[in-house]
Amino acid sequence: MWKYDKKLQYPVKIARPDAAAAKVILTQFGGPDGELAASQRYLAQRYAAPYNEVKGVLTDIGTEELAHIEMICAIVYQLTRNLTPEEIKKQGFDSYFVDHTTGLYPSSAAGVPFTAAYFQSKGDVITDLTEDLAAEQKARSTYDNILRLVDDPDVRDPIKFLREREIVHFQRFGEALRLTQDRLDSKNFYAFNPAFDPKVRRK
Amino acid sequence: MENNRAVLLKRVQICDFVLEETALFLDTHPENKEALEYYQKYMELMNKAKEEYTQKYGPLMRTDYDGGPVWTWATTAWPWEKEAQE
Repeated sequence: MWKYDKKLQYPVKIARPDAAAAKVILTQFGGPDGELAASQRYLAQRYAAPYNEVKGVLTDIGTEELAHIEMICAIVYQLTRNLTPEEIKKQGFDSYFVDHTTGLYPSSAAGVPFTAAYFQSKGDVITDLTEDLAAEQKARSTYDNILRLVDDPDVRDPIKFLREREIVHFQRFGEALRLTQDRLDSKNFYAFNPAFDPKVRRK
Repeated sequence: MENNRAVLLKRVQICDFVLEETALFLDTHPENKEALEYYQKYMELMNKAKEEYTQKYGPLMRTDYDGGPVWTWATTAWPWEKEAQE
């Protein structure tokens, strides 16, 4: 089960609202490579993970992604405070505003609502961990793109923190994949699915 | 017959649920004296129950780490496995 800590993982304190920046950063809430997809991907995949270390990595990273959703939402929230309708129009936020005002709705920068189709839970640990490695890199690229579009150091600082976490998670997933392969037949990693074919499960 | 691990875990789960239910009530009744005292009482029971469980059977949270030579958080049974209920 889960407990909530009444704090952000890393501080978010933005002095200047900027709806144009909010619109692109929102994609890391509900977009294709966002934190919501990441958390649900790992927390769904962990049940089929055949080894305790992999269950641990998926649980702990999946949980950290929940804290990243909160950071992204805090950034978007602070970037969209005290805006006038004129500023909302000028900064290109009107298409979001008309449906959600300044409420947080999980969607991509282009306004596509979140969908579970952004991730897979395949029930095959090699497949799942390989998707997870790609997911961390896709999120890292997205953060790199956000850093190309946003100048305000108040915004860049927490975004840089989140970008670094993608790199750490990529490293840990790589280790989880190595631990998995160490337990399988190195001549043919795919001879069995250790989550489904029980004879190699606790090798 | 239930073993000791299951009994101790059940005690933690009971305290935890009482705290959950009482906290929800307190969210909308923040000055209710009876509920505040009830919460306090179960916090103490919870701490005792958690300490008893974790000393014998390992961490319920990562910060229950006991200072020993091995990080048992990831390598011991996970709660959705049947083995963890036994």
